[in-house]
Amino acid sequence: MEPTLTVHDLTRRFGRRTALEGVSLAFGRGVTGLLGPNGAGKTTLIRVLATTLAPDAGRVAAFGLDPADREQRLAIRRRLGYLPQSPGAYPHFTAFELVEYVAILKEIDDRRARHDEVRRVLAEVDLGDRAHTKVRRLSGGMRQRLALAQALLGDPDLLILDEPTVGLDPEQRMRFRALLSRLGASRTVLLSTHQTEDVTTLCERVVVMRTGGVVFEGTPGELAAQAAGQVWLTTTPPEGTFWRTPDGRYRTLGHRPPAAVPGEPGVEDGYLLLLGGEQVAA
Amino acid sequence: MNEWHVPDDLRAAYLGGGLPDATAMSVEAHVESCSACQAAFPADGAWLETSWAAIADVVDRPRPRPLTRFLTALGVPGHVAVLLSATPGLARSWLLGVAGALAFAVFAAHTADRSMIVFLAVAPVLPLLGIAAAGARADSLYEVIAAAPIPRTRVVLLRALAVLVTALLVTALAARALPDYTAAWLLPALALSGAVLALGTRIAPHHASALLTCGWLAVVLAGREAVFAAPAQTVYAVVLVPFIYLGARRWNRL
Repeated sequence: MEPTLTVHDLTRRFGRRTALEGVSLAFGRGVTGLLGPNGAGKTTLIRVLATTLAPDAGRVAAFGLDPADREQRLAIRRRLGYLPQSPGAYPHFTAFELVEYVAILKEIDDRRARHDEVRRVLAEVDLGDRAHTKVRRLSGGMRQRLALAQALLGDPDLLILDEPTVGLDPEQRMRFRALLSRLGASRTVLLSTHQTEDVTTLCERVVVMRTGGVVFEGTPGELAAQAAGQVWLTTTPPEGTFWRTPDGRYRTLGHRPPAAVPGEPGVEDGYLLLLGGEQVAA
Repeated sequence: MNEWHVPDDLRAAYLGGGLPDATAMSVEAHVESCSACQAAFPADGAWLETSWAAIADVVDRPRPRPLTRFLTALGVPGHVAVLLSATPGLARSWLLGVAGALAFAVFAAHTADRSMIVFLAVAPVLPLLGIAAAGARADSLYEVIAAAPIPRTRVVLLRALAVLVTALLVTALAARALPDYTAAWLLPALALSGAVLALGTRIAPHHASALLTCGWLAVVLAGREAVFAAPAQTVYAVVLVPFIYLGARRWNRL
């Protein structure tokens, strides 16, 4: 199947700092997770893909269109839903007014159609009963859901979400995952996250970034397999970094400590090992 | 048991809309509880659904903000009015700042030997900060707006226009309170507004605004009344068009 979104040899610098270096990726239908520590270049990549930041070098194509061309960029934006890392809000607006405002920015000019669409997306994120509450009176989790609602306006073919699960409680996160997995069945969803749990439960594909480059691309299972033979369980605290498991044993990654038994590798283990020792120690 | 049903002639009169309100309500009350009469009345499911949705929209939609209502009353299309009502430059703090600066300038004109130089110097720079905010990253929805398909030029120019019109109206009102009425501030205000739009894509809009404000005040300090004389006014009128064109073109590329 033709990928929805491709980037080739992408480079972006901010002054002397290189945020992206030679990144090449392709995204098709389904949910892809973008994992990486702070400063890995996730948000820069997300902003380039969402057409809000131009790369210094390299090519980007979405639906076969080139965002460097103004008309094609607008055509991409008509099919895009975007949740930025800091989505912002006008606190004196109600939830309805804020989403309606974004609906106007998305060119839904007919009032009835716009109102229906606003109600639909507010219901999608379970905020239908808060439509007329001022944004400043909403909790952090509700504001995050409100930001997600604006991204869903117009039923976009491409959803780009930068850390969408921040601020959500476990129940909201579960609902959010259900919503995204439903949406991912028929469109391309790209989300950046710090939560390996999001990747495990939601993503068909995962990309791990570090210092502006891609260090892994594959399925969550393949990421977990990166840690095969490197996850250990001990009954006494081993040297180096470890954490206590619910059954009272100690879990560590890397070299086998004395008297250790192998543990089942998970996505988080593979991710931490990919990032290297300093991340495991952090 | 109720054996009475709406007769054909009464039903026809009801459907034709020719019944008095009280009779129509009696018919409706009966039909609500009589399945035989319900079946006799024609029903269009799609029409009903659309009608209910329209009623629900009227009941459920939020009351427009005062500014939105005001703009709509002036004939501005609804979606443009909503867009303008969120203009960051039209914040209360900016309006208070504009009013305060104008009050000071009018007061100075009355106390300083009827000299209007303070008013003329201050009035043209009042819209700048508001216009700078029209496309600024300081807008908390900047990133969302940046990814929206609506052309950025349209948003920035609409907002800039809203700020400019507001500032000009307030300034024109304040000018009525001057010892001698003058409109010599108008063309400099328009030229500086165009300049901040053109410069605001090259450097941060608030920097552009600060730079132009300082530059303008320096020019007024050096040139005094000559800055508002006819030759200078011609210059402002001439530079206005290319400034706006340049500004619009640059915002268009973003």
